[in-house]
Amino acid sequence: MAGLNGDPILGIDDKIEDLQYKNNNNSNEVVDKEELVGIGEESTTCYKSNQGGEKDMAGSSIHRSGSRPQLDLSKAEIQGNSEERDPTILLPNQSDDISHLALDIGGSLIKLIYFSRHEDQSVEDKRKKTVKERLGISNGNRRSYPVLGGRLHFVKFETSKLNECLDFISSKQLHCGRIDSHHWNSETPANENAVIKATGGGAYKFADLFKERLGVSIEKEDEMDCLVAGANFLLKAIRHEAFTHMEGHKEFVQIDHNDLYPYLLVNIGSGVSIIKVDGDGKFQRVSGTNVGGGTYWGLGRLLTKCNSFDELLELSQRGDNGTIDMLVGDIYGGMDYSKIGLSASTIASSFGKAISDKKELEDYRPEDISLSLLRMISYNIGQISYLNALRFGLKRIFFGGFFIRGHAYTMDTISFAVQFWSQGEAQAMFLRHEGYLGALGAFMSYQKHGLDDLMVHHLVERFPMGAPYTGGKIHGPPLGDLNEKISWMEKFVQKGTEITAPVPMAPPGTTGLGGFEVPSSRGATLRSDASALNVGVLHLVPTLEVFPLLTNPKMYEPNTIDLSDHKELEYWFTVLSEHLPDLVDKAVASEGGIDDAKRRGDAFARAFSAHLARLMEEPAAYGKLMEEPAAYGKLGLANLLELREECLREFQFHDAYRSIKQRENEASLAVLPDLLLELDHMDEGTRLLTLIEGVLAANIFDWGSRACVDLYHKGTIIEIYRMSRNKMQRPWRANDFDIFKERMLGSEGKKPKPHKRALLFVDNSGADVVLGMLPLARELLRRGTEVVLVANSLPALNDVTAMELPDIVAEAAKHCDILRRAAEAGGLLVDAMTNTLDGLKGNSSSVPLMVVENGCGSPCIDLRQVSSELAAAAKNADLVILEGMGRALHTNFNARFKCEALKLAMVKNQRLAEKLIKGNIYDCVCRYESAPAS
Amino acid sequence: MDHLAHVSNLRSSQSQTQISHLALDIGGSLIKLVYFCRYDDSCRDDGDELRSQNDSLCSKSDNNQPVLEGRLHFAKFETSKINDCLDFLRSMKLCLGVNSGSHDGTAPPSDKIFIKATGGGAYKFADLFKEKLGVSLDKEDEMECLVTGANFLLKAVHQEAFTYLDGQKEFVQIDPNDLYPYLLVNIGSGVSMIKVDGDGKFERVSGTSLGGGTFWGLGRLLTKCKNFDELLELSHQGNNRIVDMLVGDIYGGTDYAKIGLSSTTIASSFGKAISDSKELEDYQPEDVSRSLLRMISNNIGQISYLNALRFGLKRIFFAGFFIRGHAYTMDTISVAVNFWSKGEAKAMFLRHEGFLGALGAFMSYEKQCLDGLMVHKMQQKFPISASSAGDNIYCSLSSNSDENGSIECTVYGT
Repeated sequence: MAGLNGDPILGIDDKIEDLQYKNNNNSNEVVDKEELVGIGEESTTCYKSNQGGEKDMAGSSIHRSGSRPQLDLSKAEIQGNSEERDPTILLPNQSDDISHLALDIGGSLIKLIYFSRHEDQSVEDKRKKTVKERLGISNGNRRSYPVLGGRLHFVKFETSKLNECLDFISSKQLHCGRIDSHHWNSETPANENAVIKATGGGAYKFADLFKERLGVSIEKEDEMDCLVAGANFLLKAIRHEAFTHMEGHKEFVQIDHNDLYPYLLVNIGSGVSIIKVDGDGKFQRVSGTNVGGGTYWGLGRLLTKCNSFDELLELSQRGDNGTIDMLVGDIYGGMDYSKIGLSASTIASSFGKAISDKKELEDYRPEDISLSLLRMISYNIGQISYLNALRFGLKRIFFGGFFIRGHAYTMDTISFAVQFWSQGEAQAMFLRHEGYLGALGAFMSYQKHGLDDLMVHHLVERFPMGAPYTGGKIHGPPLGDLNEKISWMEKFVQKGTEITAPVPMAPPGTTGLGGFEVPSSRGATLRSDASALNVGVLHLVPTLEVFPLLTNPKMYEPNTIDLSDHKELEYWFTVLSEHLPDLVDKAVASEGGIDDAKRRGDAFARAFSAHLARLMEEPAAYGKLMEEPAAYGKLGLANLLELREECLREFQFHDAYRSIKQRENEASLAVLPDLLLELDHMDEGTRLLTLIEGVLAANIFDWGSRACVDLYHKGTIIEIYRMSRNKMQRPWRANDFDIFKERMLGSEGKKPKPHKRALLFVDNSGADVVLGMLPLARELLRRGTEVVLVANSLPALNDVTAMELPDIVAEAAKHCDILRRAAEAGGLLVDAMTNTLDGLKGNSSSVPLMVVENGCGSPCIDLRQVSSELAAAAKNADLVILEGMGRALHTNFNARFKCEALKLAMVKNQRLAEKLIKGNIYDCVCRYESAPAS
Repeated sequence: MDHLAHVSNLRSSQSQTQISHLALDIGGSLIKLVYFCRYDDSCRDDGDELRSQNDSLCSKSDNNQPVLEGRLHFAKFETSKINDCLDFLRSMKLCLGVNSGSHDGTAPPSDKIFIKATGGGAYKFADLFKEKLGVSLDKEDEMECLVTGANFLLKAVHQEAFTYLDGQKEFVQIDPNDLYPYLLVNIGSGVSMIKVDGDGKFERVSGTSLGGGTFWGLGRLLTKCKNFDELLELSHQGNNRIVDMLVGDIYGGTDYAKIGLSSTTIASSFGKAISDSKELEDYQPEDVSRSLLRMISNNIGQISYLNALRFGLKRIFFAGFFIRGHAYTMDTISVAVNFWSKGEAKAMFLRHEGFLGALGAFMSYEKQCLDGLMVHKMQQKFPISASSAGDNIYCSLSSNSDENGSIECTVYGT
């Protein structure tokens, strides 16, 4: 099969040639491959041209020796550490031809992790190249790890349905090294010696089958090694991976990397392994128990006739174990045995009531049996785990494995056992990617992809919609293309009414300590197919870095508003829901309104609504229901908005506001010359005020704001801009203008030193950037300050992107010398590009105006994850200007910087205005913060 | 449990005896009885010179007075059949002379009669006893009784404790002066784990809800067995590999040697039952019973060991009605303790395993009446008796307990 189908893979030999070629050319273009943030995986077609380019480079094959291609890469990695210009740039490509698939084949489930590259995107090459030269970035050598941008996908199958798993692998060609591109190069044979890393018992058992069916060899990795490697990776690299779950309340735990060890890892699969972890690769299996997930399911099947684990688990939600367990109260006639701290509801004997002669199996409700089983097993695991933690003096116990599968009640029970027996000394913690420890570990064992070096800021977690096979459900159709994805969404919604409809609730169980009580979170949640919406795809973006100007990156929290406050979440839920139809209209219109677009639009709306609905369920867990309480990690508004953008991209709406942005840019650029003229006639002080007013006024053009969308239907851009600026009466609600003015212009004749370099985080397209931020940038340039415009890497609403900005600047430069010279110096003008490249001549005439991408595709920005470009640009900056609600209010309102910072925004949301500045809608914020003394 | 046979058996012996003291342990599944029969004069002619003389049981007496002679009987009933127990008690006229204030041999007014009782049922069924028998249950703390009973047995009864490994039973001689501390694991419906540091000095350190009730309860649901013993019997003939997922099943027949798991280690109890192709009816009850027994025994062994480890205890005594001298159960528990402790800790079992609580409740009379003298005397006297009479008695005991579900024992003192 692999042999017949092998052509699309091409992969290894081809890439070697590729590598050689680039090696000789010391090329810059390779670097660009690193720079990409995710685009829809399925969107291959958009970038064919680039791939064609690659193909050209790939000539005849150079043969790789041996069956372990990854061997070659280790050397390369070491080279990558050097600061030389030389071979490191090749590493991304080289790492590309290792296998991208790892398996954990357990007794009941197969867990699969595969890696897909981000698609290349060469459109911005020129801009980036120039920016790099400007900023002195040396060809990517700053990185020491050879990682490609890409995604980690998580999939699972039932072991009994191994064939489906093989089909899946085969259909995605995952076993052949690489999965993207090169479908046309049919001469290259599949690698006969392909090796897949696998762990779990099935790696031994099914090795022959894999060889036979897929023609690949399974390289077995030790199960415990993998579990530990996977857990260490997750705990170090993924933000909010671990959480506690007590009495229905989850709380994310931020683990300090330096204070992670030792800990106890309890992996609950079919059986249970208990492992003491002392460091990377340092661990010991100290215990285990044969009463595990297999016991629950096995006994459950025999007793209830359920057909799946999930069905059984679902039953437990509605069970009452008191009908089947013998409670202390049953023995003591309803009284507590308080002397030894056992309350009447403590389970004295699991299934102890089933000894009654009067009832047979048929007389017990399956629900009760399931709950009784679940409590018995969870509690037992919690107890044995605690006793082992105690034995080694470990305070932290992490529970992983597929038994838990995010089930609130299971987690509560385990937590309760640990809490009860340790009297609060030890803490049970859970992992969001609980089921994938082993598979991740096996994936890590390829080593040479450098994943182990990844830091938390390199991973962006996203929740794609087309993820029935990546999510919480055991198995779904392998959705190959967009079309399947859409039809799945349509089907999903038909029967998916379940997830949005409120579910009748059982009264909360008794609470309180003193025994093995019923944790309060038990609800009647349905586990429908909606479960498939969870586990995110991990995007590896190795070019992301922490914004270097943050004063305290560790303490930094991007979100101003915490959505764990359910009222907040409810509000934003409403806002986003109401805004949805308008967004869908825009998205569909952006694709010409054709039927296909409409269908995708519908699918997008359903997908996003489903996400929202699930989100709404989560915090409702306080005494209510909860499905998979930790599916999304800790959530801020920024994440929510990002989720929406990701959803759009998922259904191939890459830029829903494209036409609107264009129209508004044109309209604004048309009036820009007049505005600049007007400004130039003002004295310095008035001009500065007018400029800031202009920024604030122009910020009203925001399609993300419901209030503003309403405004749009009432007037033209220019009318609104004028009206808005006229309303800019000071004092603004937060008004540090005078301090800023003094910093800029000085007082009593003292001229302050101008800023060396200013980073301007821009917001919307159209008037906002053209009539607001550009004139401000121009003013700074005029004063001898280098200006870096920081814009989104990917479209989000009508926000201007780093790709669009150069054109806008070029257009504006036609009417303004200052801008033109600066743009030339910054390499933004296409005409000037050749000059710039030839020898950077003529750049002495002006300080440069540059554009960098920020590394994200959301209306907000998380400064822990910005592009390396931006990080480099930040190095010499002494002024940061954040503009707009998303970047200055929703996020970063409370962020503190090492340099001066100016936060400018118009508040276009009544609730936010009240909450943040105790003001009203359309109030303005001008917050200036001087650099902290150091 | 064949308690009818047992009752008749008792009756036959009762012709010669007068029952004077009784204590009850009313658990979730079983009622355990301990009662004392005085020998009448004809009995004394048995010529057992080892019997001590003391008829001062309930009269405040001096040390010098002779010790009462008699036998301590053990009986059990299912809690669900408590009426049988009540009938038995009524027929035996057991209650005479039990209340602490009464004189020997005279029947006090019934409303002043107290019976010492422990276990949850002492609370739950107090009214029933009052109503049916006109006696009040004097409730004794369950843990205290367990510990008192165990201490008594371990100190006073020769060859009470034994190990059981690979089918080999071996008695352990316990030095009464080097008994403490130890871990007492009482496996009733549920399991209590008690760290014992001395007479009356103990702490319930742990427990688990996977106990005898779980075995029986789940076993009933899965096999339709009619009683505990039948279920246990089934397990003899079973093969748990049919139902359990073994390490070998996961690893394609090979061991997972690196972490010391052989291919026959159970990876997941009932883990094979997840198979789609088989329903409950397709499994042999024998195999299910075996798997269940191993799961529960193993789990108890493991948790016990972990608790012993926690407090540095080398000795773990297992008792309670779950075990009932069942070889495979003891074997599994022993193997679990041995496995997890790497041979460091030993599981030991008690021959009167099921009657700790009842014995403890029984002992609590003595505390009141004899100011603790009693135990002292027994310690002195028992070794003498054990050498000749003890073995005999116990031999017959073992067979008794197997056949009738009750055992008989001679005790000297009081």
